[in-house]
Amino acid sequence: MGDGNTMKTNPTTIGYHWNEVSGYHSSEVTLIFIESSIGEQLRRSRRASSASGKCCCGGGLREHNSPDGPSRNKSALEYQREQKRLKKWRKMIGVGGSDWKHYVRRKGHVVKRRIRKGIPDCLRGLVWQLISGSRDLLLMNPGVYEQLVIYETSASELDIIRDISRTFPSHVFYQQRHGPGQRSLYNVLKAYSVYDREVGYVQGMGYLAGLLLLYMSEEDAFWLVVALLKGAVHAPMEGLYLEGLPLVQQYLFQFDRLMREYMPKLGEHFTEEMINPSMYGSQWFITVFSYSFPFHLALRIWDVFLYEGVKIVFKVGLALLKYCHDDLVKLPFEKLIHALRNFPEDAMNPDTLLPMAYSFKVSKRLEELKQEYEKIHGKVAESKSKQKQLQLA
Amino acid sequence: MAAYRADDDYDYLFKVVLIGDSGVGKSNLLSRFTRNEFSLESKSTIGVEFATRSIRVDEKIIKAQIWDTAGQERYRAITSAYYRGAVGALIVYDTTRHVTFENVERWLKELRDHSDSNIVIMLVGNKADLRHLRAVSTEDAKTFAEKENTYFMETSALEAMNVEDSFTEVLTQIYHVVSRKALDIGNDPGALPKGQTINVGSKDDVSAVKKVGCCSS
Repeated sequence: MGDGNTMKTNPTTIGYHWNEVSGYHSSEVTLIFIESSIGEQLRRSRRASSASGKCCCGGGLREHNSPDGPSRNKSALEYQREQKRLKKWRKMIGVGGSDWKHYVRRKGHVVKRRIRKGIPDCLRGLVWQLISGSRDLLLMNPGVYEQLVIYETSASELDIIRDISRTFPSHVFYQQRHGPGQRSLYNVLKAYSVYDREVGYVQGMGYLAGLLLLYMSEEDAFWLVVALLKGAVHAPMEGLYLEGLPLVQQYLFQFDRLMREYMPKLGEHFTEEMINPSMYGSQWFITVFSYSFPFHLALRIWDVFLYEGVKIVFKVGLALLKYCHDDLVKLPFEKLIHALRNFPEDAMNPDTLLPMAYSFKVSKRLEELKQEYEKIHGKVAESKSKQKQLQLA
Repeated sequence: MAAYRADDDYDYLFKVVLIGDSGVGKSNLLSRFTRNEFSLESKSTIGVEFATRSIRVDEKIIKAQIWDTAGQERYRAITSAYYRGAVGALIVYDTTRHVTFENVERWLKELRDHSDSNIVIMLVGNKADLRHLRAVSTEDAKTFAEKENTYFMETSALEAMNVEDSFTEVLTQIYHVVSRKALDIGNDPGALPKGQTINVGSKDDVSAVKKVGCCSS
């Protein structure tokens, strides 16, 4: 595998430099695809994505859903600061991610701190793959994605097609009917539904894949979904989508209890108004805040989520409730439901919300509450199929 | 409290659920009825959504609390909890996709397993504006509805056809059952602040309202 930044599977390979993909920075990563129809498809979708300006550091190419949030004009000072930050990140990652693991081992606390401040947008796709373990999966499984997309058929194909245009319908990348965005989203979801037939396709997975595809190729996005659902680094997420949605139920139980411990007054009010967490929290967990939260916030949550795991979803949920606490405790049922699904604009500022989220310490309680839940409901099932064990080194 | 508070001013509060296969148009039926909006770019529903609207029946104000549910089978683990306490249900299928009509039987069973046996049910064939793509005949659906003792209507959320009528019919029928029962709670809306169960009465009562409602197109 050489220096770890190339993947050679066939002598007749065609190299694509990262700068072509991102339309921005130097050739830090060389991605090489096998010469095949899928290779061609992937390239086309990459070109299309670079043409639509999906990745741009500090630039203003993305008019809508900007990763920086509502139209921000940057001052020269801010620009300089950003360049400095970028330099630090580049050093930390090394060429094509070659220094990453070393750096994480040596200075894990620095990495954590920097990630919590937000991964620079032009490095996000690469860093997400590094921290999720998906890059290792990709390198260990050459040709697998192609096989799944081209040769296999899935029982969920029609379900997936029906949801494609209903996933991020207002994002420019997914708006064109049968356009590159919709096609790659379909391919990733179909491939996953074949790869893991027990989970198959479940509504909500499209938001995961859809968010990832804004930052990486189909194949990369596919392996990141695999890494998440099968648990390459953190606890597997597949229970969110398995029959009975067992992990959704467990997470909602844990969230409800945590909320009541941290905000007893609000908890009491929820009891009086008969609000239960499935009325507002299911989509937080099922789509990791990508369903109805603005992109600039969702991306920042995902940065932390991929590095630290699902506990950030609990923390952000608690922060949202805390931020609106004094309003929420006064609202009657219907207004309460509305408020819990439409948080105010100022709560959507990641630099306000995330520090608040980090202030909640939940790890220990989450583990205890999990055990409590298992005592009542039994252990949350994981996928029965053993053949899909991750082959992580 | 001199101010007129339209929101809280109601005589009856009924909880209604919208169920049916994924992609049949449940969310757009709801937005058409509650906000007179339709979106061609709507997202698939994850979990449940919620909206309300009040209508007037016999000089009474009836407030509907409508729960819109995700249609995919896997989601029933979450959504079926919302059947509890519902006094009305619209089971929606897509007139252009026969399979969604075939699945109505399962939705009915699911509903009857989880809800009060006296629930008022309407079968709704949505997307009736797509006449050239029709895959379920009005006759077939009507026959099925008669057999199952549910009301029936064809709608188009896009063209706002029969949407108002279908919801109104369900709410009116619930009201008839309730008022015929002359439950005490009828005069005391304060007793029903938030979507709790209203007893629609005994089995015998509902058989009296079993008839196929009007249909169109």
